[in-house]
Amino acid sequence: MVELIDGSENVSVHGIFNWILLLTIFSIITVVANFIGYEHPIADSLIGMAILSLITLAGVWMERYLPLNISSIIYISVIGIALAFPGMPTSEVVSYYVSQVELLSIVTVFLAYVGIGMGKSWNEFKTLGSRAIIITILVIASTYLGSALVAHIVLVMTGVPA
Amino acid sequence: MVGGGIISKNDDSMNDIQHIYREKTDKRILKKNPWKDYGLHLSVLVLAVIAMYIGPIEIKLTDSVEIAVMPLLYTMVLGLVFYLAKPVTWIERKQSRVAEGAMMLFIGILIAKLAVSSGQSMHLLFEMGPALMLQELGHLATILIALPVALLLGFKRETIGMTNSIGREPEVAVVVDKYGFNSPESRGIFALFIVGTMIGTVFISFLTSICVSILPLHPYAFAMASGVGSASMNAASLGPTLAAFPALETNIEAFAGFSNLLSFSVGIYIVIFIALPLTEKLYELLEPRIGRKPIVDEGGE
Repeated sequence: MVELIDGSENVSVHGIFNWILLLTIFSIITVVANFIGYEHPIADSLIGMAILSLITLAGVWMERYLPLNISSIIYISVIGIALAFPGMPTSEVVSYYVSQVELLSIVTVFLAYVGIGMGKSWNEFKTLGSRAIIITILVIASTYLGSALVAHIVLVMTGVPA
Repeated sequence: MVGGGIISKNDDSMNDIQHIYREKTDKRILKKNPWKDYGLHLSVLVLAVIAMYIGPIEIKLTDSVEIAVMPLLYTMVLGLVFYLAKPVTWIERKQSRVAEGAMMLFIGILIAKLAVSSGQSMHLLFEMGPALMLQELGHLATILIALPVALLLGFKRETIGMTNSIGREPEVAVVVDKYGFNSPESRGIFALFIVGTMIGTVFISFLTSICVSILPLHPYAFAMASGVGSASMNAASLGPTLAAFPALETNIEAFAGFSNLLSFSVGIYIVIFIALPLTEKLYELLEPRIGRKPIVDEGGE
């Protein structure tokens, strides 16, 4: 717990401003990509990205300021689910605007940052032998297929229509 | 999802899973004005525009098998090329670190989008509860398949780290916590982590496009399976799944997001209490039978 609080001291007003700036940059790029790829109205998808950015901001802020050892991923998920839950007063507005931003637009921009970010690991990657690559491919493929097969069997057994 | 950082850090407590994310993000993006690296963001904008203009490319392997190459792969691969290419002087190691820190924040946007889809489909998630929980156990298939192969290839105790799970940040933290930073088990999972970071996203995207076109499984089963790894792997696997079942978009996003959340939460406990003990048992059982002579370790450092 102590470390948790320690880690938060470098988050100043300046820090929050940087988060907002980065989320704004990301939102603008995503909205442009979203317009080119799916031709959703720019104004609507901007509002959608603003909602998603606010949820993210709340999540990362809570992770650092609330004295609980909970990851921001959990906070963000709970807030997102609660806002869109049918019956909540926010449900319709949030669902409409967020649906204007396609997941694949977000992912396309996100993975550009991932690609640049993983460049640093390139040398480490090159020194690992082909055996490590074979095992990694096997691990990913068998985890994916194992999960899909079990899910399929349970879905069929519980009678979920396709 | 990101290499380097975790590996050079000697944290060995499970609670540090979150600190890994947070400290990275804080160090890289909070201490200076991120707008100083405008070259990075403009490059991402250019990459995204190019990728979206090209759009998905469908490659027919046979009459029934079709691979969809999604724009998300172009931006990722081009991003890596930008970093490695000599002429691109405005994206170097420093920008790469900023990109990595920024990415930690942008995972939030991805999670928020999936959470909104989950909220809309909450009733469905409750109905599918058993499938969602039990498919986490399907992850154990990797032990049965990858472990014998790793032994045949000559790995020793690295095998335990390499084959117990898909090896993303939470699992790395668990293994380092249990075996210590400099153990062969940890070297194994570091190797898995780095290779998975480099090729995992591209590989799972191709794997998914092949699977959705040849395996007659339930669309929701593919959605749940897409959540087995990191957030980027989840996204890369979702692309072809959404393209194959466009009518079920919101539900597929909901299952994928929820399954990924489970992998990062419940998944850790499955690794601690089931996967690692099972991996050790199987290792002890098989190693004397099919293990090779110890080899100079290329799989680790």
